[in-house]
Amino acid sequence: MIDDTRAEPQIQDLVYSLATSPDFAQDGICFAARQSGLYRSDDGGITWRTTYDSLDLEAPLATTAVVVSPPFIPPSGGVSDRSVFAGVQGGILRSVDGGQTWNVAILPSPPPLVSALVVSPNFAHDGTLFAGTMEDGVFRSADRGSHWAAWNFGLLDLSVFSMAISPDFANDETLFVGTETGIFRSTNGGRAWREVSFPTEFAPLLSLALSPGYAGDGVLFAGTESCGLFYSNDRGRSWTRLGEDVVTEAVNGIVLSPQFPAQPDVLVMLSTALLVSRDGGQSWSDWKAGLSFEQGLASVAAPQGLAPGAPLLVGLVGGDVLRV
Amino acid sequence: MAKAAKRQTQRVVFQPTAYRGLQQGINQIADTLRPTLGPLPRTVAIERSPRDKAPELLDDGGVIARRIIELADRDEDVGAMLLRHVLWRLHEKVGDGTATAAVLFQSVYNQGVHYIVSGGNGMALRHYLEKGMGVVLNELTGMAVYLEGQEKFAQMAETICHDPSLAKMLGEIFDIIGEYGQLEIRSGRSRELEREYVEGMYWKGGILSRQMITDHTSLRTEMENAAILISDLDIEDPRQLIPVIEAAMQAEIHSLLIVAGRLSDNAIALLLMASRDPAKFQAIAVQTPGMTAGDQAASLEDLAVLSGGRPLAKTAGYTLSGVKVQHLGRARRAWADRTYFGIVGGKGDPRALRKHIVSLRAAFGRADDPEVRRKLQERIGKLMGGSAVLWVGGATELEINARKELAQRASDALRGAITDGVVPGGGVSLLACRAALQERLDQSTDPDERAAYRILIKALEEPIRAILTNAGYDASEVMAEIKRADAGYGFDVRCGRIVEMAKAGINDAASVQKAVVHSAVASAALALTIDVLVHRKTPRESLTTA
Repeated sequence: MIDDTRAEPQIQDLVYSLATSPDFAQDGICFAARQSGLYRSDDGGITWRTTYDSLDLEAPLATTAVVVSPPFIPPSGGVSDRSVFAGVQGGILRSVDGGQTWNVAILPSPPPLVSALVVSPNFAHDGTLFAGTMEDGVFRSADRGSHWAAWNFGLLDLSVFSMAISPDFANDETLFVGTETGIFRSTNGGRAWREVSFPTEFAPLLSLALSPGYAGDGVLFAGTESCGLFYSNDRGRSWTRLGEDVVTEAVNGIVLSPQFPAQPDVLVMLSTALLVSRDGGQSWSDWKAGLSFEQGLASVAAPQGLAPGAPLLVGLVGGDVLRV
Repeated sequence: MAKAAKRQTQRVVFQPTAYRGLQQGINQIADTLRPTLGPLPRTVAIERSPRDKAPELLDDGGVIARRIIELADRDEDVGAMLLRHVLWRLHEKVGDGTATAAVLFQSVYNQGVHYIVSGGNGMALRHYLEKGMGVVLNELTGMAVYLEGQEKFAQMAETICHDPSLAKMLGEIFDIIGEYGQLEIRSGRSRELEREYVEGMYWKGGILSRQMITDHTSLRTEMENAAILISDLDIEDPRQLIPVIEAAMQAEIHSLLIVAGRLSDNAIALLLMASRDPAKFQAIAVQTPGMTAGDQAASLEDLAVLSGGRPLAKTAGYTLSGVKVQHLGRARRAWADRTYFGIVGGKGDPRALRKHIVSLRAAFGRADDPEVRRKLQERIGKLMGGSAVLWVGGATELEINARKELAQRASDALRGAITDGVVPGGGVSLLACRAALQERLDQSTDPDERAAYRILIKALEEPIRAILTNAGYDASEVMAEIKRADAGYGFDVRCGRIVEMAKAGINDAASVQKAVVHSAVASAALALTIDVLVHRKTPRESLTTA
């Protein structure tokens, strides 16, 4: 029995990325970056509407990445900040009203294709976010997305497939990028990069995830295209392969429990399967028995964590978004 | 008249005169540099020629040593020039530590001479001094800790340049460009320090025709998704270029950067004609970078690795006749102005780039020649993806030049500190090495070996004594305080109290300290084996000129 609800309208295009409100359980707000544009749902992914109406576009604007700033729906008394960022070819769109209106920041020509967006957990104060691109490395903005500059010192491979930022970024200024040939780490807020000792023969790196307690435990996970899932508990100095017999397809996404490592749940999104481990990656099972994704998986979000029964949003290669 | 005649004859000087002369020369140089040691240095005034100019005020040991070109007494001159050479070599290699080295050298030499004239064996003493030096170097290696972050780098830079704003700027720059990063230090146009980060890589090799410049405001041409012909060929006949242009056009390449040794006027005219509609096709030509054949080959190799092209070198017999599109490198962006050209986002294989950097780093580690090391470091820096320019301002040209020199010295030492780590500064690391020597001393029964360790133990105290004296403290009194403090603690002369040196940001680059100990001890040990001086006959022409 598949406990899913088909997204409406059903748009037959790739779902590159999903982003959810920090208060998803209450407000049900989420965004889907698709080949045909950026969509918003206010009911937890059941119904969707385009957010680009105000742009009055003549053709669909392929949107390859989306991210929501942490204080999206701020706690009462906090500063109101409803920033949504969407990556498109050649620029980054910024909305401060949940996607009703947009400002465009143009990236230097030739137009870079944005492959990943991450926002500082301390965004309310530092206004910092990063965009990974397919050919031009990493762009950084320190003014809430108004202006962007490439910072690629030490980044020997400019094809960025994945990014992950330290939950304690305010103090350690650390973030990682996974590229076609390896993993690079910045410890100065994304202004310079040093290669992490990840074997280049296992690259490309399609996904990265840092433990919520990264500052203390130094744990990160890396998903590769053809060599499975890897784990490091020393900030990337050494690596162990996990689930060698089970995780054999491309690892397109990794989600860790917000309570990791106390609750050592790890979810990986393969090409056609969602696997979960309840013991930090030692043993694996299907997220839900009988669930199959023949259409192909493209993106995943776990807005309420990975506890059994928690909803997942799953973006498919065909363009559907499933609530699983 | 008699003096002139004496200078014209070859003279051999034996002991004890030789020791006395050497010692006096060494002491003159070391005593000149001693006041410059530490964060509160005194300055040395160097008379200028002609004498009516203001004297040059210096506190950089290396430069001071370089300025002393001759002592009047020829026996003393040999000793002075021996130490001067040691110091200048050290200055060229690591950019810092010359005053410490001078003080160490002086102490080892003077104690050594005393031991030898009392009947000690000079050759055995040299052997054991070198053995003791190994102990000290091992101790320093064990003490080294690695710096991370802008703030730590700035603290380190300040211990070298004693200029807080310059140190802060260098801290930021090195946090970004890393230990091999390319940093150009240029004269600024204002009184302030400014820095600029340059994305991508660039080389000296300007555009070959002013007519190829498309942006007449910035006097620069920029191209997107450029293909790059990488060569040092001299292109005389414009027909040689036709296969290249055809291959590019067939591959739907709209931007072509030609790197060549030379282009004839006719060849340039052909490129201009092919680029008459830059929206469809644009080709520009720049000069192959590098003054020598070796430099040119290195630049072409780097450019090829970065862009994924093949270097077409004339020495390898390449011509343009067989050029295919696969031979061309690619980059997301390319630019050129009258002096430089550069690329951003080279499309070379990142794995090949890593291998190339590893091989250059290995060559850098093996190289001893400062010029070779500088070139290798510059190449590695370029390949790492960017560079920085530091604009040093000041009120006068003299001030700007002095500050530029200081910035260069601090950046050299900072590179060393990032690569090899740091040890507690202010002479504390050298003091800490004495325990290991004392252990060896207690275990040894050989009188020459014991003498060598005693000499080193005493010599390692000299730098900290000089720092304290220069800052106006009673060295013996403060030394007693330091001895009572825990390991890693020393005396901060600026605030006048015992502090934990690492915590206070008072560090020395481990590489500099090791180079200082190696240069000073090995050279002093060698100098102790000098038994006879032979003075050359002064050439008559020199006397006439003089």
